[in-house]
Amino acid sequence: MMIEALIAVALVGALVTFVAPNRVAGKLAFAISLVPAALSLWMFSAFDGVGNALLEGDLAYESQYEWLELSEYTISWFVGLDGISMPLVVLTTVLCTLAIVSSWTPIDERESQFYGLVLFIEANLIGVFAALDFFVWFIFWEAVLIPMYLLIGVWGGPRRKYAAIKFFVYTNVASLLMFGAFIALVFALPEVTTFALPEIAAAMLAGGPEALFGVAGSTLASIVFVAMFLGFAVKVPVVPFHTWLPDAHVEAPTPASVLLAGVLLKMGTYALLRFNFTMFPDQVAAYSVPIAAIAVISVIYGAMLALAQTDLKRIVAYSSVSSMGYVILGLIAYTQFGVGGATFQMVSHGLISGLMFMAVGVIYNATHTRMVTDMSGLADRMPVAVGILVAGAFGYMGLPLMSGFYGEFTIFFGSFHSQLLEYAPLFTAAAMFGIVIVAGYLLFALQRTVFGPYRLETDYEVGRAPLHDVAPMFVLLGLIILLGVAPELIFEMITDAVDPIIGGEV
Amino acid sequence: MEGAFSYAPAIAAFPLVAFVVALAFGKYMPKKGALAGILATAGSLLLSVVMLVAVASGEVYHGTIYEWAVGDALTEVGADGIEFTFGILIDPLSALMLVIVSLVAFLVHVFSLGYMNGEGETGLPRYYAGLGLFTFSMLSFVLADNLLMAFMFFELVGLCSFLLIGFWFRTRSAPSAAKKAFLVTRFGDYFFLIGVVAIASTFGTLQFAGEESFVAAAETAIADGTTLFGFGPETWVTITGLLVLGGVIGKSAQFPLHTWLPDAMEGPTTVSALIHAATMVAAGVYLVARMFGYYAQSPTALSIIAFVGGFTALFAATMGVVKDDIKQVLAYSTISQYGYMMLGMGVGGYVAGVFHLMNHAFFKALLFLGAGSVIVLMHHEQDMWKMGGLKDKAPVTYWTFLAGALALAGIVPFSGFWSKDEVLYDALIVGLEQPVILAAYAMGLLAVFFTGFYTFRMVFLTFHGEPRTDTAENPHSVGWSIKFPLVVLGALALLAGVANLAPVAKLTGMDITYLEFWLDGEYGYVEGLTYHDYHELVAFEEGYISSETVTMLLGAGLSLGLAVAGAVTAHVLYNVPEPTRHTAKLGGAYDVLRSNYYQDEYQVWLAEGLTLPLARAADRFDQTVIDGVVNGVSTASLFGGDRVKRIQTGIVTNYAALLVAGFIALLLVLGFIGGWFL
Repeated sequence: MMIEALIAVALVGALVTFVAPNRVAGKLAFAISLVPAALSLWMFSAFDGVGNALLEGDLAYESQYEWLELSEYTISWFVGLDGISMPLVVLTTVLCTLAIVSSWTPIDERESQFYGLVLFIEANLIGVFAALDFFVWFIFWEAVLIPMYLLIGVWGGPRRKYAAIKFFVYTNVASLLMFGAFIALVFALPEVTTFALPEIAAAMLAGGPEALFGVAGSTLASIVFVAMFLGFAVKVPVVPFHTWLPDAHVEAPTPASVLLAGVLLKMGTYALLRFNFTMFPDQVAAYSVPIAAIAVISVIYGAMLALAQTDLKRIVAYSSVSSMGYVILGLIAYTQFGVGGATFQMVSHGLISGLMFMAVGVIYNATHTRMVTDMSGLADRMPVAVGILVAGAFGYMGLPLMSGFYGEFTIFFGSFHSQLLEYAPLFTAAAMFGIVIVAGYLLFALQRTVFGPYRLETDYEVGRAPLHDVAPMFVLLGLIILLGVAPELIFEMITDAVDPIIGGEV
Repeated sequence: MEGAFSYAPAIAAFPLVAFVVALAFGKYMPKKGALAGILATAGSLLLSVVMLVAVASGEVYHGTIYEWAVGDALTEVGADGIEFTFGILIDPLSALMLVIVSLVAFLVHVFSLGYMNGEGETGLPRYYAGLGLFTFSMLSFVLADNLLMAFMFFELVGLCSFLLIGFWFRTRSAPSAAKKAFLVTRFGDYFFLIGVVAIASTFGTLQFAGEESFVAAAETAIADGTTLFGFGPETWVTITGLLVLGGVIGKSAQFPLHTWLPDAMEGPTTVSALIHAATMVAAGVYLVARMFGYYAQSPTALSIIAFVGGFTALFAATMGVVKDDIKQVLAYSTISQYGYMMLGMGVGGYVAGVFHLMNHAFFKALLFLGAGSVIVLMHHEQDMWKMGGLKDKAPVTYWTFLAGALALAGIVPFSGFWSKDEVLYDALIVGLEQPVILAAYAMGLLAVFFTGFYTFRMVFLTFHGEPRTDTAENPHSVGWSIKFPLVVLGALALLAGVANLAPVAKLTGMDITYLEFWLDGEYGYVEGLTYHDYHELVAFEEGYISSETVTMLLGAGLSLGLAVAGAVTAHVLYNVPEPTRHTAKLGGAYDVLRSNYYQDEYQVWLAEGLTLPLARAADRFDQTVIDGVVNGVSTASLFGGDRVKRIQTGIVTNYAALLVAGFIALLLVLGFIGGWFL
């Protein structure tokens, strides 16, 4: 019942915050969000799951109730955690709490609705990572979109309507594609009478789908694989389905960006891992080269786009495209270090991109601009915030002893010796060039904004950032260093859950 | 871990503590964190000496202290698991390097008291925190027992250089130089990281020493003729070795990745001393020495190291000839001197390379701190043409600086002579059999003349002649914290050569090549990491002109003669009461040298003339084509959905209400079907 408790606290908290007066909403939401954060950390410390959730592993905090029947199919409330989802749940709860604190300064209208929506997102995100029945999972998956749509559309920047609708429609159309494909697959699988993901995975590995509507089973599996890959690719996002992301980020308020980059993007890679890379090993092998190519293009092209930007938030947004490319590379390597590193990178990138968006937000709060050309020498006025920004930037560049290095290194190592992927060393070396470009655009941006003589185009007085702006960044930085120094804290449980996926391969 | 070695982690931990203390409490402390740093580096120095003594008494240590990550990986040679660990390897090489690094770091901290604290500098806690982190990273790098740990601290060294070169961040030039230093070395580290990943994927281990090391695994693979990633084993060792060498070329500022180093003079002079003598730049060559057994198996890789080294030595020395800024001259001399070390390593002269690394650490730290002292004397003037006549006004600075200059120029009996001569001798005897190496040797030899010239040009312009400005007439005074490090290093610049008087030993037959004994397992040693182990691996033939003694005397005479000739030329041109530039004599060459062979221009062009426009083009493509398709699709579908227009009020809250209502309706329907409410 632990997972239900997590979701319930966040949901009830959302309702309470919704009706609370604006003036106390921020503090109230923070207090409420501490409950799931603390609870999930306790669950993490007491985690006793073994193996992979979909592949006959022992789940932690499992609960399953029959919910409803549609002809011969049963839909159940089925949740549980394994070594892949547990760290992501903790990432969600911790990041939500920190995002709430980071909203105190910038959000100054309709606070109760804003914080209520953040808690509502939190509840659904936990659901996405914990749900093991396709229907339940899909409800949470879709329900995440609504509050995010509103956070961007109501509290966003000047072009918020365009960005919000683009985000919503684009990801929703993708979801529709994925949903349709998956339902077709379930109908074609023999002897599957539930939407429970473990059962579907077992059926897929046992022999895959039978012919449906005159389409041969193996062809159907390939079609479904491609359709689902495209559906999730939008969410990740990979090039060329990424254009909604910078628009959404630029218009979104800081805390929404933190959650968007920190957790929402991981929904895409998480789903890829859970569905495509767990249920379709043959298709993974068959499409390994094009997928690896997409990964490399995402890394390099995303980084090049970041290099061309002059808006700090766009820089960080495009760099997310680049970083998620590494995740895809790790997944397609299909080795323990590759897939494990990709999962680690999801958590790590969640923390680091969260930190970067917060830091950019703090700068924006003080200067009311995000344009690189509008400012310089901010380190003179806000030394602590800039110090953390610099540390976060180096984390993004994959500085050793910070979590980003571990994620990237294990992905590179895992993909270099991949048995599945042809030309794996060449793909790896090509993707690795991202670590040079990322240093280029981040250092270039830092040089122009925070260093040099102090100058600001807008006429705001810039002073030290308030403690509650800086404190969440400190927490994130601490976590980033902690995971960089002691990655086994989560890597051990991750590899335990990854091993069954890659099966005989190592 | 037993005995003295149980204190080894503290060598690195002390400066880390100093970093934290200076960062968190520095501004409340009397000397803003300096004392914490001095105390910590003194502790590191003491413990490093303890390690040296332990090794001298025959002990070594190799052990893992922390498991970073463990996992399964099917590697090319068939191992099925890998451990990424942090471990400590204390053998003659690392023990020696620990003492060098901690000694220089300690002296730099002491010097900083006089150099940085004196002038109302703000940001001192940040400065001392940076020094502490720098020392910590470098000492951890030296202690590392495996390639990944070495890479990690190699990168952290790069971070620290960024922070310290950019210390004066309110200027425009310092942040730019800091960025350049990090970016250029990162470009090298890109290849290094591929090398690390490739070696791990090939052999399933990254250990430097022992049966389980990648060096031993490579030997086995070459002996067995195992195909590695589609290549023959020797070719693959060459490829991976050269990839790692990318990092070395970046950090040790070898051609073509040397361009960051002259710019790095934007940092405080103390930082330059630390970077050039004992930390960042030294890290590259130390890495070659640390995994020398790997390079020794690839004659191709060695030849490339030697050639790059010889070329860089000459290339940088010629640029040093026309610089006016005292720190710039020293910067180019650093590049050039590390070229010698690479040359030495590349011809299999492991002892010679390490010997020069050690001597250079002392005399280059001395010269930079001496230059720092001059800069204090001159009220922060660095142009040598505005100095002159400081000899009598600041005798301690002059005499110690002169000792460093004699060592740099390679004048007998100063330390630099002995090690540079040994490098050149090793290159010569291999060169007599290998034309490529002979070319490298010739470049190294020619560079000796230029080194003698620019070194003494610098000495004469700074200290001799008549004062050319009022500041030079009435210099600022310097305190004990500046003089003390100079005296210590001055003595070392004079005497450190005693460690390995190879020519004397050969002539007299005395057993006085202590450093060679040290690195060859006469004291404590680790199996496979000794000089004769390496010597057996290196496949180079050696040749002599008539006999070994004649070859040696000829080589020594030639290099000493060239060094003296360079110094004398400088004396004739610049040791006059009122020297002139004499640059017209160089003709068109002057512009080329002055512009550093246009190396910066083409690298800046690569970044700003090629990459940036490419990025902008990609951005335009992204905005117009890719996003255009997305928007086009949505416009087309919206056009089709014209009738839905009525609910498109454009008010976001209306959309929200519709969404929430729809969602609730969906849940209700599902609930009814499922019989939830019955």
